[in-house]
Amino acid sequence: MVRSTPTDPIDLLGPVQGEVSWFCCGNAWGPCSSTGKGACGTCNSGSLQHAWPNTSDACWNITRPDRCGDALSRRTCGFRHRTTSLCGGGSIVTTIADCGPQTDLFCGERSCCGATCASNRLIDLTPAAYSRIASLSTGLRPCEISTG
Amino acid sequence: MTTRRQMLKSALLGSGATVVAATAMGSLGPEAAFAAAPDQPEPGVLDPDFAEGRIRSIKDNTLMVLGSNMVFHQIRVVDGTSLWKLGPVGFDQARPGDGLYARGVRMPDGMLAAESVWLNIVNIKGHVRNITNEKIHLDHNGKDVLCHVVPGRSVAVHSDAPPSADLSLLRVGQHVQIMGAWRPDTNEVDIATVFSPH
Repeated sequence: MVRSTPTDPIDLLGPVQGEVSWFCCGNAWGPCSSTGKGACGTCNSGSLQHAWPNTSDACWNITRPDRCGDALSRRTCGFRHRTTSLCGGGSIVTTIADCGPQTDLFCGERSCCGATCASNRLIDLTPAAYSRIASLSTGLRPCEISTG
Repeated sequence: MTTRRQMLKSALLGSGATVVAATAMGSLGPEAAFAAAPDQPEPGVLDPDFAEGRIRSIKDNTLMVLGSNMVFHQIRVVDGTSLWKLGPVGFDQARPGDGLYARGVRMPDGMLAAESVWLNIVNIKGHVRNITNEKIHLDHNGKDVLCHVVPGRSVAVHSDAPPSADLSLLRVGQHVQIMGAWRPDTNEVDIATVFSPH
C-alpha cells in the first residue's frame, strides 16, 4: 500500500483550493503588448490556457509556492487542469502555456466569496478562460483546481 | 430553461420580438450567469466566443475591432450587454482606439453578439516603485506603469479585508496586482482595484 507523506504535492491528494487571477499573453495591446507567448511559446490571451507555478526547475525557482506551504506537482506544457470558481461554481479546463503566478510574492493572501475563502495564488488563467467562470473585472477569485 | 445565451442568440437572429435585455432575464446574478456558460471548446485552442483587440470604428451598435493577431471582429452590443470601463458604463463610452476583451455568442455570420465587453481593462502585477496620494508608479516586468488614483472609484483590497478607498497602507517595494483601465497609447492606467497580499 502506498502511503502519502507530508511532502506529497497537495494537488496529488485531490483537488486543491487557492486563488485564481488572469493575465495577458501573446499578441496584445497596452501594457500587455510586450508580454510574449509565455514559457511554452504558445500562450495567447484568446486561448483557453493557464500558467502553472511548477512547469520546470527554473519556473519553480521563481514562483516558490512551497514558501507559502503549497507543494504542487511538476506539470509541463499542454497539461490540463480544471479550475472551478468557488463563487459561482462555473469551471473551465485549460492547458498549461506559461510559468506562473509568482505565488511567493502574495503568500498568505486570501480571497473570499461570502464565507467561502481560499488562500495563495496557484493558477493564472488567460482572459478567455477566466471570463468563462467570472467577470474580468473581479480580478481575483477563490477557486478549486483539479486535473482536467 | 432558456439560458441567457439562448435568449441573446434568438434575439439577434430575429426570432424574438425585440432585443431582450440580459439584465431582465430573471434571477441570474453575474456569478450565476458565468456558471451557466455552455460546454467549452477544446482546451488550449482559441475560444470562438471570445474576442480581443482594439476598436477601429463604431457603426450603430457594432464595434469594428482589429485583433492583436490581425483578425478582424464585428462585435454587436445589445440592450443586455454589460460594458465595463473602470466600472459599468454605457455604450456611449466606447471609443475608437480603446482596447477590449469581449465574450458572447458567435453568430453564424461570424459576428460576436456580446454578453460582456471590458474596455481597456488591464490586470497587471508588479512592485510599487513610488507612491503618492494621486499616483502609484508600478514596475511591471521592468517597465514603469503610471497608475492614477481615481477619487470615488479606486479601492485597495488587502487580502480578505473589504475593499477600502484608503490606499495609504500600500508601501514602496511591495508587490501588488492592479486592475484598472488603460489610457490608450500611453503607459498610464486608471486604478479600479489594487490587490495587496497584506
